[in-house]
Amino acid sequence: MSFWEYVGSRWEQLLVDSYLHTSAVVQTTLVATVIGVLVGVAVYRSPIGSTVATALTSAILTIPSFALLGLLIPVLGLGVRPTVTALVLYALLPIVRNTIVGLSTVDPSVRDAARGIGMSRLGVLTRVELRLAWPAVLAGMRVSTQMLMGIAAIAAYAKGPGLGNLIFSGLQRVGGANAINAAVAGTLGVVLLALLLDAAYVLLGRLTMPRGIR
Amino acid sequence: MSTAFTTESGSLRVERLRLLIQPAAVLVLVVGVLAWVFSLDLDDIEQRSINARTIALLTWEHVQITFVVTAIVVVVAVPLGVVLTRRWAKPAAPAVLAVANIGQAAPSVGLLVLFFLFTKQTGFWTAVLPTAFYALLPVLRNTMVGLGQVDRSLVEAGRGIGMSASSVLRRIELPLAVPYILAGLRTALVLAVGVATLAVLVNGGGLGVLIDTGYKLRRTPVLVVGAVLSVALALLVDWLGAMAEQLLGPRGLR
Repeated sequence: MSFWEYVGSRWEQLLVDSYLHTSAVVQTTLVATVIGVLVGVAVYRSPIGSTVATALTSAILTIPSFALLGLLIPVLGLGVRPTVTALVLYALLPIVRNTIVGLSTVDPSVRDAARGIGMSRLGVLTRVELRLAWPAVLAGMRVSTQMLMGIAAIAAYAKGPGLGNLIFSGLQRVGGANAINAAVAGTLGVVLLALLLDAAYVLLGRLTMPRGIR
Repeated sequence: MSTAFTTESGSLRVERLRLLIQPAAVLVLVVGVLAWVFSLDLDDIEQRSINARTIALLTWEHVQITFVVTAIVVVVAVPLGVVLTRRWAKPAAPAVLAVANIGQAAPSVGLLVLFFLFTKQTGFWTAVLPTAFYALLPVLRNTMVGLGQVDRSLVEAGRGIGMSASSVLRRIELPLAVPYILAGLRTALVLAVGVATLAVLVNGGGLGVLIDTGYKLRRTPVLVVGAVLSVALALLVDWLGAMAEQLLGPRGLR
C-alpha cells in the first residue's frame, strides 16, 4: 500500500489522533500559561524569587522527557495523567522566563504614572504591566507549544493520546505492511500541526497585541 | 525575551546559581537512588538489571551516544554555518535553515523510528545519526547568528591591515562568535542526552534500557533507577555545557 492509499484508508483515525494531539498540547499550554504567569507575577519583584523560579524551571526542561514520563508512571499510572503532567512541566520554563522578563522590562515611569493617576496595585498589574508583558508571554507560549508537539509524541509510550501512537505502532510492527506508513504519517502529522499552530500564534499575536505597542 | 528552545535562563544570576547547585543535585540524585535501590530486596529479574556492571555499562553507552552526537553536530554545523554566512553562499542560507527548522519541528522519536525502519539497522549508529540531525539546528543557527553579529567595521579593519579573508575569519570573526556557538553547543548537548534515552527503541543502549525494562516487566525499582540516573546525567551534561560557556569564551568578551 502506498503512503497516500494508507492515508486515504485511515483518514478518520489520523484525524482523531491529530485532534487528540493538538488538543493535548493546546490545553496543557494554556494550563502552563496560567501557572507560569501566576509564578511570574509572584516572583518578578524579588531578584531572589525570580532567580530561583527560573533556575528551577530551566532544570526541569533539562530532564529527558522519556525519563520524566518513566518517573510519572509509577505515581500517576498510564494514559492522560502522566502525559498532561509532563507536558505542563516542560511548558513552564519559556513562559515563566518570558513573563519575568516581560514584567521587569516595563518602563518604571509608566508604572509610576499609572500609580499617579490613582490606579491600585492590582489595577496597575492587570491593566498596565501584564498588557505590556503580553508579547513576551505569547512568545514563551509559542516556544512551549513547538516543544510540546514533539514531547507529546513520546508520551504515547505511556499510553498517552495523539500521533505518537502511530509512530510507536510503526515501531512495533516493524517489517509489517504499514509500519513505515504509520511512522511517516505520525511524524509528518506532528510537523504539519506544529507549523499550523505556529501560524495560529502569529495570527493570535496580531489580534491580541495592544495597539499602542504593536 | 527568548524565541527558541534553550535550557539557558538568559540571566547571569541564574546561571551562577545553577553552576553551583546543579552538580550538588546530581550527586544527591545518584547517591540517593543507588543507596535506595541497593537497600531493597531485589528479585531475580531486578538483579539482572540492577547491578554495578550493568548500570556502569549503560551509563557509559549513554555518555558515548551523547558525545558522539555532539561531536558530529559540531563538525557538521560550525563549518556549514561558516559557509552559509560567506557572501557567495548567502542566498542558500534561508533554504538550509528552513530544512533544519523542519528537522527540529519533527518529533525526535519519529526521526529515530523512521531512520530505523528505512535502514533496517539497529544499534549505536541508528540512534546516533537521527539524533545528530535533530540536534544540528541550535549550533547551526547560533554559528550563523554569531558570525552575523560581528561588527562589520572590525572585519574591514582586519582586511585593511592586510589580513586575508581566511585569517579574518579565523582570528576575528570566529573568536567573536564563540560565545554564540557555545550557547548552541550547550543546547545540542541537552537535546542529545535527552534523545539518547530513546536509543533503547532502536537497540542503541543507554540508560533508557532500564526505563524500558522496568516499564515492560513492571519492575518499578529498575524504572526509577534508569529514570533518575538519566535525569542526573542530563543535569551533569547541561552543567558541563554551562562550564564550557564560562571557560572557553574569549577572555576579552567575558
